[in-house]
Parts: sequence; structure tokens; C-alpha cells
Amino acid sequence: MTIASALALAGIRHRFGHTLALDDAHLTVAPGTVHALLGENGAGKSTLMRIAFGMLAPDAGTLAVQGRPVQFRSSADAIAAGLGMVHQHFALVGPMRAVENVALGSRGRLDLTATAARMREVAARTGLSVDPDAVVATLSVAAQQRLEIVKALVRGARVLILDEPGAVLTPDERADLDRWLRQFCADGGTAVLITHKVREALAVADAISVLRRGRSVLEAPRADVDDDAVVAAMTGEALRASPAKAGGAAAIRGLVPTPSAEPVLALDAVTLRDARGVTRLRDVTLRVARGEVLGVIGVEGAGVRELLRVLAGRLAPTTGSVRRPLRVGFIPEDRLHDAIVPAFSLAENLALADAGHARGRLDWRGIRRATADVLTAHDVRNGTADRLAAELSGGNQQKFVVGRERRVGVDALVAENPTRGLDLRAAASVLAALRDAAARGADGPAVVFHSTDLDEVLAVATRVVACFNGSVREVPPPTDPEDRTAYARALVGTL
Amino acid sequence: MIEFGVLLLPFLEASLRTATPLGFAALGELVTERAGVINLGLEGAIIAGCFGALAGAGLGGPYAGVLAGIAAGAAVAMVFAVFVLALRADQIIAGTAMTLLALGITGTLYRLVYGAGGAALDTPTLAPWALPGLSSLPGLGPVLFTQPLPTYVLYLLVPALLWWMHRTGAGLALRAIGEHRAAAEAAGVRSQRSRAAAIIFGGAMGGLSGATLVLAQVGTFNEGMSAGRGFIAIAIVVLGRWSVLGTALAALVFGAAFALQYLFQAMDWALPYQLFLAFPYVLTLVLLALLRGRAAAPLELGRQD
Repeated sequence: MTIASALALAGIRHRFGHTLALDDAHLTVAPGTVHALLGENGAGKSTLMRIAFGMLAPDAGTLAVQGRPVQFRSSADAIAAGLGMVHQHFALVGPMRAVENVALGSRGRLDLTATAARMREVAARTGLSVDPDAVVATLSVAAQQRLEIVKALVRGARVLILDEPGAVLTPDERADLDRWLRQFCADGGTAVLITHKVREALAVADAISVLRRGRSVLEAPRADVDDDAVVAAMTGEALRASPAKAGGAAAIRGLVPTPSAEPVLALDAVTLRDARGVTRLRDVTLRVARGEVLGVIGVEGAGVRELLRVLAGRLAPTTGSVRRPLRVGFIPEDRLHDAIVPAFSLAENLALADAGHARGRLDWRGIRRATADVLTAHDVRNGTADRLAAELSGGNQQKFVVGRERRVGVDALVAENPTRGLDLRAAASVLAALRDAAARGADGPAVVFHSTDLDEVLAVATRVVACFNGSVREVPPPTDPEDRTAYARALVGTL
Repeated sequence: MIEFGVLLLPFLEASLRTATPLGFAALGELVTERAGVINLGLEGAIIAGCFGALAGAGLGGPYAGVLAGIAAGAAVAMVFAVFVLALRADQIIAGTAMTLLALGITGTLYRLVYGAGGAALDTPTLAPWALPGLSSLPGLGPVLFTQPLPTYVLYLLVPALLWWMHRTGAGLALRAIGEHRAAAEAAGVRSQRSRAAAIIFGGAMGGLSGATLVLAQVGTFNEGMSAGRGFIAIAIVVLGRWSVLGTALAALVFGAAFALQYLFQAMDWALPYQLFLAFPYVLTLVLLALLRGRAAAPLELGRQD
């Protein structure tokens, strides 16, 4: 008898407080296939997979592994049933050695020598090699991802769930991963790939499932769907896959012939070491002028995060000099943590942006009026000056933050993954706002923009620099606009 | 320097004796903290252990006293665990509350049971016990091996903890929970259960610390006799950089600091004795200031979920 599915979830419902995260979601993964689970951020992909891996108990619905119905009380049960999960934010203990991470969860006496031997055996069989004695925190992001997979394989996982595995990888590393996944499935394994990137999913998957607002809206073999069908299923309407492309880098370059000579932001020989003494930026010299949108690319840990924070004045360099205007707008990646106070009203959040410079009494009437202006100008839905920031959806919060940071009098604007967590429409509007800032030429602010999505960077930036291992290099624009090789090489430091 | 030489062995003996209750409390707290929980209720567990040991020894002899002390310390920690793990209360507040509560309850019970002035002076105690052979080794032999029973237990506890933390799955899980709890859970570790066990073990060791104080050192109970040892033990864990050997060593340093006051007093220096009494506490502050940063601290330490 052949088993119809390696992993099957049916009629899954899950509620977080008042929000129905999943409502009648289902997923059937055939053995020996790569199955992509697509959906916009917040569609319920991760929730569904956490249920599959025993990290959450569903309110309703059934689970089956290799055709047998199961009920998981914890991840331990899921692991015992032959599931393995590669988490988006790796579930690895940084200060511990690789072999200890693999042994974690075992009972009784530890035999690290035997565990290391099994890691080597998995490496010999699959080509995924990680030094068992390496301290995890010192490994590259790609190696940590390999370790996550090795961890699952050593425990005998036959069904691998990978949550946004492409997000932290360079294009070459991603191609390696895709090749490896195909091989794993050809050898009888099964993989579920969670992603919100249509192109990534279509490149490797045998079958596609789409979740929209917690419901399953599409489940089809790869051959039966194309980009447009998948995007339509994800958004609920026909919308171009990359609205960002509409403007295009070339168009912007036409608008801004020469940035003004005097740079607004200037770094000279900036080096930054963190609290642990690790060099995060080395000898960075950089100029950004008004009317420019400087696109910054780099994988996690390459120094992008630190570079943006030095430019925004949130981090002071260890050596070297920084010249920047008094007020720099900063749109950080984690808005709930770094940009807004959820329990404050929108007017209070607007006032916060200048709190460091404000003296004496606050002019609340003026602040409310300014807030209302931001809400109208940036199409923040359901917002009034007196509503709490927490009551807005993620997309509207982000539009509010972008509007606030772009307010009058800001000479420079630093944006870090500003479209993270936004649906396609909200993302397009945020990108348009950045482009618009630059379109004002010498009257506009200097903009520094980082996104993990290279398409977004190329759509908005007038100039691109790449971070690698703390160094920053400019990437000369390729003669053929479709040619991505130079960017891919810059990401791995071989430009 | 003949005078100093004569005083040296008694000084080392006193250091070790004073270090024993500190060592138990600190090693217990170390296990709790490696699971990511900071238990400021340790002082409360110690005083509960003191009172439990007094009551137990009165009823069933010194060994019953030791067991009753351990049970009393574990009970205090269990209440702390319920507040912190089940009710998700703040660790600092819950721990401080447990210390204040235990100090108050033991004082009240003591007065109720033994009367306002009546100390149980006939409490049976644990006498030093010379290990045959080892105690007659030249040099440090008599110092190391003419000790009351708890000190020998401590000798065994250090290697046992080292082995457990690094050579068993449960020890690895405990350390992983303290560094990255989500990762441990994703690997199938039941973190709440491990944390509860770590907290109760820490309380039991606090209780043993109190029992040692009463049964092997002071011989009776006084209100508030834990005298800040719980807080010093927490500092000892920091000084020991959250390692078993480091913590044991730091406990010995503090034992010596306490013992030094006897030495100074014996040397008859013309200094007010309060200075010597304050010495261990001043040392705590100085060493904490010298050892900056928390690079070695478990990353999840004190973090609420």
C-alpha cells in the first residue's frame, strides 16, 4: 500500500485571543515532494506549521503523519513521529557547540562522541557538513541553517518543515539549498517550504498551497499554476507580483541627474566593535547626498544593521567620524520594538520622534494637527490622532512610522526593511513614499534604504552598496538591468 | 611570624567551615540561574532551612534536622516556583517577597513555639567527624577531613553537579533553557518542568545551607540568623561566572573573608571589630565592581515570558 500523504492537516482552526488566525486550513503533502506553503505575512503559514510541529495545539482539526492520525502534546512528540523543523529564527543555542545543539533534547547520559559521529555520518550521506565542535555563534548563517537540518536528520526526520529558509541566504546559498531539497525528496524525504516569495516557491516546489487570512485558498500541482495565479490567490485579486517594479531604478536615475555636491551623511573610516568585541563595521567611508536613495544590500550579520544605526545616530562608532544632520528619520525593522510605543496614542507617538529635542511644554493641538496630516498623506486607515498605536494593523503602523519619519525638516531618512510584514499593497505604498522623497532632488532628504528583497532595492535605489563581513563596497550598475550577477557576488564578498 | 603560623591552620579550618553553607546555597542558586531564573528568595530558603533544622533536630535528632531543613527550603522554593512559573509573576518581586515572608514566619513561629526568651539550647548538633586515614595526612589533612558531615556532602556535590550539567541530557537541557529557551523547547525539552526542578533543587540546597548553619556551626536558632547569606550566595554565583568550579572557589574566598575576622580579632589589632564584621560585605561590593559585564550570564536570566 502506498501512503497518500506524508503530512496531512485538515480543518485546522486556531484562535489567538480575539483573532482567528486559522479557519478551516488544510494541507496535504505527498511523500517525496517539495511542497511550498505560500501566503502573505500574517496569513497563518507559521501558525499552521507550528501546529504541525506540536508547538501549538489547534482548537479544531486533525493531523496525520505518514497516513496515521496523530495528536502532539509537544515538539518532542512531533520529532518522535519523524518531523523536523528548520525555524526562521534558528532554534539554536549560540554559546553552545554544534554537537551539543544536536544532542539537546536527549535523555539520560550524554554521549557527545556518538552524536558527533552521527553528524559526520549524515554529512557523508547528504553533503551537509558542520564541524561538531564549532561554537554555534561563530558559524555563518548558512552553516547554522545546515546545522538545523542536520539536527533534524540526526533525529531521523523524514518530513522537514522549513520556515522562510531563503530569507537569510545569498542567491548562491539558496540555489544550493534548493538542489539539496530536491535530492532529499528524490531519496524519499518530504519537505514543506514556508515562504511569502512566489518566485522562490515556484523555482523548487512540486506542489503549491496558498493560505489567505487563515483559510486555504489554493492547493495545486506546480505545473498547474503560474506567478499570476499564485499572486491572485495570495492577495485575493489580480495584482502584479512586484508592484515595486513599476517605477524602476532607471526612471529614478533619470529624475536625479546629479545629487547635490554637499553630502548630508558622511562616514569616514568608521569602525564599530560590539559589546563582545566583535568587529561589525570595518573602515567604512560613505557619502550620501540629498536626492539620492542609497540602496544597501547584505545578508544577516554582514553589518547592514549596524551601518544603518550608525547613520541614524543610534550607535556610536568605535573609531572614525560621522557627519549627520541633527534630525535623521529612522524606520527600523522591528517597529513595535524600536519605533513606536503601542500603548501610546498616535499623537503621542508622533511627539516622541522629537522628544530628544523638545524643551518645555508640548503643543498638543499642533501635534494632533500634524498627526492628522500624516494619517491623511500616507493613507493610514482607521487612524485618528487619539487612537492607540496598538489598535492599528501592522501595515498601517508602518505607514504611520514612514509618514512620521518623513515629516518636514528631516534632512536624511534611514529605512531598514520597511516593507517587512506588509501586504503587497501597503508595501507598494511605502516604497512609493521613499521614491517620492528622492524625486524631490536637491530639495528632498538623503535616503538610505535596506531591504532583504533585492527587487525592492533595485526598484527604489539610485545607487547600491553591499555590506560583506563589515566592509561596505559600492556595486557599479550593470549594463544589462536584468543582470544580477554583480549583486549576487557582492553579497558573498567576491565582487 | 610564628604567631601567624600558629593561626594559619585554624584560619583555614574556619574558612572551610564558613564556606560550607555559602557553597550549598550558591551551588543551588547556580543551578536555578542556569535555567534562566534568578531566585532572590534564596535567603528565605536558608532561614526556613535553619528553622526546619531546629524543629527537626529537636524531634528526631540531627539527621532528621538536616532532612527537615532541606524540606523547608524546598517548600519555600516551591511557593516561589508557583508564583514565577504558573502565575508568571515577576522573579525579582516574587523572590524578595519570599525572603521577607520566610524571615517573618520563622521569627513568629520561633517565638510561638519556643517562647519569647527561650532558645532551644539543647539542640543536638553534628560534631566534626575525622575521616580515618585522610584526617591524619600531613599538612591540610586535619583541616580538610575533620569536618562535620555537610562539608563532606559538599565535597561530593561539586563533582556530581559538574558531571550532571555536562554529561547528561537533563543537564544539557537545563543549560540550553538558560541560554535560549525557545530553542530548547523546539528541540523537545519541557522547559517549565526543568525550571521547576531547578528552582526546587536551589531551595533544597538553601535549606541544607540553613541546616548546616544551625546544626554544624551555631548550634541554635536566632531570628534572622541567615544574615544576608542568601544574597552573598547570589553574588558568589556572579563571581564564579556561573560555573560550578568557579562558584565553589568563590564560596571558599567568601568563607575566608568571614574567617578573616576571627583571625584579625585574634591578632588583637586596635581596630573596631565592626570593621572586620563588615569585611565580607565590602568584599562583595568590591569584587562585583571589579568583575564588570555579564558576558558569562545565561542570556535568559530573569527574563519573563
